[in-house]
Amino acid sequence: MEDNVAIRVSNLTKKFKVYYDKGRSLKEVILFRNRNKHEVRTVLNDVSFDIKKGEAVGLIGHNGCGKSTLLKLISGILYPDGGSVEIAGRVSSLLELGAGFHPDMSGRENIYINASIFGLTREEIEARLQSIIDFSELHGFIDNPVRTYSSGMYMRLAFSVAINVDADVLLIDEILAVGDANFQAKCFSKLQEIKEKGTTIVIVSHSLSQIENICDRSIWINEGVIKADGTPLAVHSEYLEFMNEQRQAAGGKSLDIPPEYVAYMQERRYKENLKLSMIPEQQAAVEANGGQYRWGSGEVKITSITASGPDGVGKRLFEVGTDVYFKVHYHVEKPIKDAVFGIGFFRNSGENLYGTNTRIDGHPNFDLNEDGEFTIIMRKIPLMPDQYTVSFSIEYGDGVPVDYWKDALKIDTYRQTPDVGGFFMEHDWEYEAERQDDNG
Amino acid sequence: MNKIKEIYEYRLMVYSLVKRDLRGKYKGSVLGFMWTFVNPLLQLLVYNMVFSIIMKAGVEKFYLYLFVGLIPWLFFSAAITGGSTCIIAQKDLIKKIRFPREIIPISFVTSQFVNMLLSFIVVILVSLVSGVHLTVGGILCLPVIMLVEYLMALGIALISSSLTVYFRDLEHILAILAMAWLYATPICYPEEMVPEKYLSIYRLNPVTPIVNAYRDVLYWGRTPDLTTLLLAVGIGLVTIFAGVLIFGRLQRRFAEEL
Repeated sequence: MEDNVAIRVSNLTKKFKVYYDKGRSLKEVILFRNRNKHEVRTVLNDVSFDIKKGEAVGLIGHNGCGKSTLLKLISGILYPDGGSVEIAGRVSSLLELGAGFHPDMSGRENIYINASIFGLTREEIEARLQSIIDFSELHGFIDNPVRTYSSGMYMRLAFSVAINVDADVLLIDEILAVGDANFQAKCFSKLQEIKEKGTTIVIVSHSLSQIENICDRSIWINEGVIKADGTPLAVHSEYLEFMNEQRQAAGGKSLDIPPEYVAYMQERRYKENLKLSMIPEQQAAVEANGGQYRWGSGEVKITSITASGPDGVGKRLFEVGTDVYFKVHYHVEKPIKDAVFGIGFFRNSGENLYGTNTRIDGHPNFDLNEDGEFTIIMRKIPLMPDQYTVSFSIEYGDGVPVDYWKDALKIDTYRQTPDVGGFFMEHDWEYEAERQDDNG
Repeated sequence: MNKIKEIYEYRLMVYSLVKRDLRGKYKGSVLGFMWTFVNPLLQLLVYNMVFSIIMKAGVEKFYLYLFVGLIPWLFFSAAITGGSTCIIAQKDLIKKIRFPREIIPISFVTSQFVNMLLSFIVVILVSLVSGVHLTVGGILCLPVIMLVEYLMALGIALISSSLTVYFRDLEHILAILAMAWLYATPICYPEEMVPEKYLSIYRLNPVTPIVNAYRDVLYWGRTPDLTTLLLAVGIGLVTIFAGVLIFGRLQRRFAEEL
């Protein structure tokens, strides 16, 4: 293997026996021989590729395409039926967080157990202990038993250990979805940092945008073979196109497509400035919801919505107290007069947090004759860290909806400080007590 | 050789798992870790009542005779029966994380072994109180006997744990086998009680030389017979070798089968 190659996968083949009704006990094996019928399914078929040192690669593909199997073969959890995997350096696989945690032992003791399972020696763990604890932000709790932790704290500790292993090759399977948005953002930047240090990273993820943000290369696995391999943007376009065709072929509904794809595709299409007609993904989103979250007379339709900061770059995650810009494009099927634009914020539980429209705010009603856009700027959003659904509407002045899209967009908020509650309330402290600068 | 190096690199994992196991075992009980000592003493009491009062075996200081054989046996039996399920019990680890799979049976047997070592503190005390004259040679032999038994137990646990993954009945079969094995070993009775004509088969039992060696030191107060000891060492090495080979072969499909 050349010096600059970190992972070499050569002619890798993996087959699984799929049992129709597997008997494992003696009685079953003897009495019901024919019940042990199985078919051999080839999950990976003669796959070869090299990953260079310091490269960050995303593996994509629909459920069951073999991408997770590939990751497990690279990590050495599974053994191949044919071909080989060569790896230069130490591998750390983040496929499971908190492996070996014992609820009755303290966070500190569990760091030792968990890290030892990743193959670290005592000296190596001691050298990393402080950065693990710092990263987890569990300073005051680190000597309490893990069973007293909230699930968020538990995951934070687990992730902190995993991310601090310092491997040459890091394998990650769908685990960036841990903790609150705040911690996720932190994990994300840690991953960037690790990548900059020259660690080779392989990620399996459903979130294409996550892969685009971290990876330089994407490998699309389909039916056990590599379908495309290249820059994430190129591969993902091809992949989304393919998924879309598949879905249409399947009648638009039956294929299992995660909502993130739909949202992602909307954004992508918008970025590429594709035609402003109603795009199929949005129809799919509405259909997936049974159409009950979007209704109206339909003369004018919202075609895309982008949430962003002042810089106009689309994103989903906002810091509490910053300004959020929603830019809404609409397509005019039939010109209407006397229209009102509206926006509403909801918790995922359905609770309405705030809603307003141009009429309430004292703007004159609009005549919509051709496609256009409007922007609403929510100043210093006070919504504390959570996920929120944002709805948009175009309606007639008398309140008759033209296009009322209740679950149009989801945004997440995060916050740097640990204050709590549903809304951020601006405040100041005044006091007379003497200030103690030195806690020492 | 590579395997041994890899396992050595993961030594902290063995240590952590053993510690976790021992700590977790008596969690929440009033006596806590004291159970490690109380448990063998109570067992001794029961066996002593049964065999000295009801079923007289006709052996002097029978409680000690029994105790010296029983404690190593309990370790051995735990390694067989518990060892068979140790891989299945840790399937979440095996399916999700890469580490030398041997670590799991090694940790399991080691934690049982540590339990036995602690019980041996009680055994040696009882032996001294009973007036057994412990020889220096005998005491020096003890660690060797223990090591040999450890290797044998580990070998068997490696085999049984990997086979049980593919064939779950083994767990129950081994439980019965362990019970039968207890009576095929001179633990509750002296070897002399076995009828002459069965003796050639009886002697095939690989645990017998180990039990006899323990007894030489802690009951008879003499240095174990060299042939007994060498036989035990031989058996121990063969078992561990077979265990490593079989386990190495079978572990490749663990993640799929579990």
